Amino acid sequence: MRKPYFIQSDNSAVDCYGVESVRLADIESIAFNKVAYWLIDMRIWQDGWEQLCQIRRHLTPAIYLRPVLFIIDSDSIAQEIVTASDGNLHRSVCDERLLEDWVSRVEPINQWIEHLNNANSGTDTNIAFKTLRLIASRNIELEPVTTIRRNSGYVYPLLEPLFNKRDTGVLETLDFLESQHLLNGRFISRAHFCSHCASAFLNFKETCPQCASDDISSDELIHHFKCAYTAEISQFRKAGRLVCPKCERELKHIGVDYDKPSIIYNCNECSYRFQDPKITTLCYNCGRQAEPENQQVRTIQAFTISAIGKNAADYGLDTLFTNILDNELNLFSEKAFNDFLKIEKSRIERYKLSKSSLLIIRFNDLDKLYIKLGSKAREVFYELSIIFKNILRYSDVITAKNETIFCVVLTETDCEQAKTAITRLQEKIQELFKSNLDFTPTMTTLVKEVTPELELEQILEEFLNDAD
Amino acid sequence: MLIEDVLEFLAGLSTTQLIAYFWPFFLLDMTRYLFLDFIIILIYIPKRIFEHARYKQARLNLYRERPLVSVIVPGKNEGKHIPRLAESLKEQYYKNYELIIVDDGSDDDTAVICRKLEQQGKIDLFIRNEIRGGKASAANTAFNFSKGKYIVHIDADSHLKMDTIETILLPFYMDDSIGAVGGDVRVANTEKSFATRLQAIEYFKSISTGRTISSELGILRIIAGAHGAFRRDILERLHGWDVGPGLDGDITLKIRKLGFRVVHEPMAVCYTNVPETFRRVAKQRFRWDRSMIRFRVRKHRDILLPSAGFSLTNFIASAENIFFNLVLDVKWWFYVVQMMFVNPALLGYIFIINYVLYLLANIVEFIMACALLHSSLRAKDYALVLFLPLIPVYTGIFLRIVRTYAYLMEFVHGASYYDKWNPWKVSRVAKEEKL
Repeated sequence: MRKPYFIQSDNSAVDCYGVESVRLADIESIAFNKVAYWLIDMRIWQDGWEQLCQIRRHLTPAIYLRPVLFIIDSDSIAQEIVTASDGNLHRSVCDERLLEDWVSRVEPINQWIEHLNNANSGTDTNIAFKTLRLIASRNIELEPVTTIRRNSGYVYPLLEPLFNKRDTGVLETLDFLESQHLLNGRFISRAHFCSHCASAFLNFKETCPQCASDDISSDELIHHFKCAYTAEISQFRKAGRLVCPKCERELKHIGVDYDKPSIIYNCNECSYRFQDPKITTLCYNCGRQAEPENQQVRTIQAFTISAIGKNAADYGLDTLFTNILDNELNLFSEKAFNDFLKIEKSRIERYKLSKSSLLIIRFNDLDKLYIKLGSKAREVFYELSIIFKNILRYSDVITAKNETIFCVVLTETDCEQAKTAITRLQEKIQELFKSNLDFTPTMTTLVKEVTPELELEQILEEFLNDAD
Repeated sequence: MLIEDVLEFLAGLSTTQLIAYFWPFFLLDMTRYLFLDFIIILIYIPKRIFEHARYKQARLNLYRERPLVSVIVPGKNEGKHIPRLAESLKEQYYKNYELIIVDDGSDDDTAVICRKLEQQGKIDLFIRNEIRGGKASAANTAFNFSKGKYIVHIDADSHLKMDTIETILLPFYMDDSIGAVGGDVRVANTEKSFATRLQAIEYFKSISTGRTISSELGILRIIAGAHGAFRRDILERLHGWDVGPGLDGDITLKIRKLGFRVVHEPMAVCYTNVPETFRRVAKQRFRWDRSMIRFRVRKHRDILLPSAGFSLTNFIASAENIFFNLVLDVKWWFYVVQMMFVNPALLGYIFIINYVLYLLANIVEFIMACALLHSSLRAKDYALVLFLPLIPVYTGIFLRIVRTYAYLMEFVHGASYYDKWNPWKVSRVAKEEKL
């Protein structure tokens, strides 16, 4: 049976409805699978917020994914703060029964956390992965909330505590996850952002096309049917009525004896008259002025997790590359690879005619590529897989040990030839990244001749130890 | 054989019989359009040469003052013509002008074209009236936003010769009593079709020569909407144009009523596109001819009546127009009926002789036009002489039928109030108010 844990701080009460309390510093010492949710006192909301941030920024899935409930006193706390938790308990109605009730309400989240392999011991360092897992664990549609507290103008309250660097970090991460088809977006709104500082707080102004002043006034034109006189409405105003200056008739009904064919603007600075005022934007944050078309337009979306996203939340983001490689190169399962290696060792031992090599490759910074490349990551991984395909032969056998480690048996290839293949592989990869971006993921490799004595697991362990 | 018979018939006529058979030509048309024109042209051409120094001084005064001239162009769906017009204005010798285009509710890409030209600085002000109000409303919109001392009103499908703006302004610097100057309108698309060629000859005759003579006689009754210059102070007194169709003739009469002179300047040349088919010509003239009834016979009939502001020249200007167009139009049908009764067997001869007489008259008029305008004519204008044989049929039959039909429809039905040229809401008010 799980139970709530009260997050204790210097400013919060020690005892809270009989709930066991824990200091953030000691949080790792408790049995995570016994925790139903973290309970935070929001009497001083800034402190409570800080506690929430510390929980969400923890690297252990069983801690940062765990539901958080706020105890609040009033409705005066901003919407984007209170909706960052999984639930809010009004102090006035909070009792043990309600706390118990919430234990069962958040149980689906806890069960999702429990099904992770590394929930208690793992360390999720990748912010995109943490984001994905947080959304997957709640299985909700993540909706944006408008705010004046952030430059971005929109926040996703659940995700806010995850990020150290606020504002664009959240939006960029969500964009990236959507571009990888890990999240599905639903259109909410389209918004302009300052292309300089990404602030959403832009003042859209009508300005004079000649002198750019926004000191402009507009006047409707009036066309009097009877005498064809057409001029600004100000010329027709006479003692609160509209009287034609030409024929001195009073104008009675629009559409019957007069109409308003257009609007004319007048610049009070340079006296220029025009019909199409120039729209410019002024950023409240950085003060930069620009035309709307030169500002950044971003689609604001609500997000739900996709089927691929659920899978990635379970097993890691890097599977994306593995998936592409699998499609392009037909990755063998580990078991099939081991079986083939065994057969190859026996064949070499028996005939002693040819030499084959075992190649182990590890990409060191593959996860950085996701953030760096955003929506282009899929394209680049596809290019990478093409390089693999071109350098490896159809008779070579490849498997993925995990998302970043690949093992290849290069048949009828001695170590020298295998090294040549590695050099070519490295050159091609460098070429690919050089022409696309200034960052190249590093690659660690190992080549071993396939001999009857070769033990894959042992070699891998040595390789990884050396690489680390 | 036929020619011999005709000549024999002609030789057998005494002078009295000749006049009796061909009285419309000898008594009216030859007197008014041939003799009078010939005499005036004979006086005008040397006068123009002698006045060279006056023109030179006027040009000097114009450039000394260098007033801002507002070129206003109201129109609907005319965007395709505007770039060429703007270019022709750019090439004007007189540079101190502003170009104001008013789009009267176009439903094509006029607004896009003009906004682009405005951004490029080729149009000084473009105003788009989303709701169509008619040409007078569009012209008044342009006038209201203009700043020039002189207002030059031109049609969008026109372009100007390089000296046109300065030439049309010269009369203002020669006589302070001149309130408006009509520019010469010539056909731009002469070589497009038969219809355009015949109209080109007609324009030489009726606008270039006809209006120069009316101007000399002090009875000019119209300044074409396609090309006219006005003093700003006078347009301000009049509060611009009244509801059309025929707003150009209307404003000319209103200026005359104020006591100002209106003159024609044949050397200020504007080329305009005319209808390319006879069907379109008929439609255009149907509109123009109705306005004669609506404005001269109805709206400005006070000119014909003795009143405090009676002016003999204004009376003659209006009466001459009504007489030679309306009365003599009736005369023609009377003449046809008369000839049918007198001797139906001779109708063929009479037709041929009338044709020859009017052809000769047209040749003389064409020669007069060439003498008057020679310095501004192009080679292709002279080539129009080949089409002169068609003119008696074009003006004597085709245009006469259209004119008669227009007069009848206007008298009987007030057809101009139903013309789509104006939006229905404007026509409705005009009809209610009997404008």
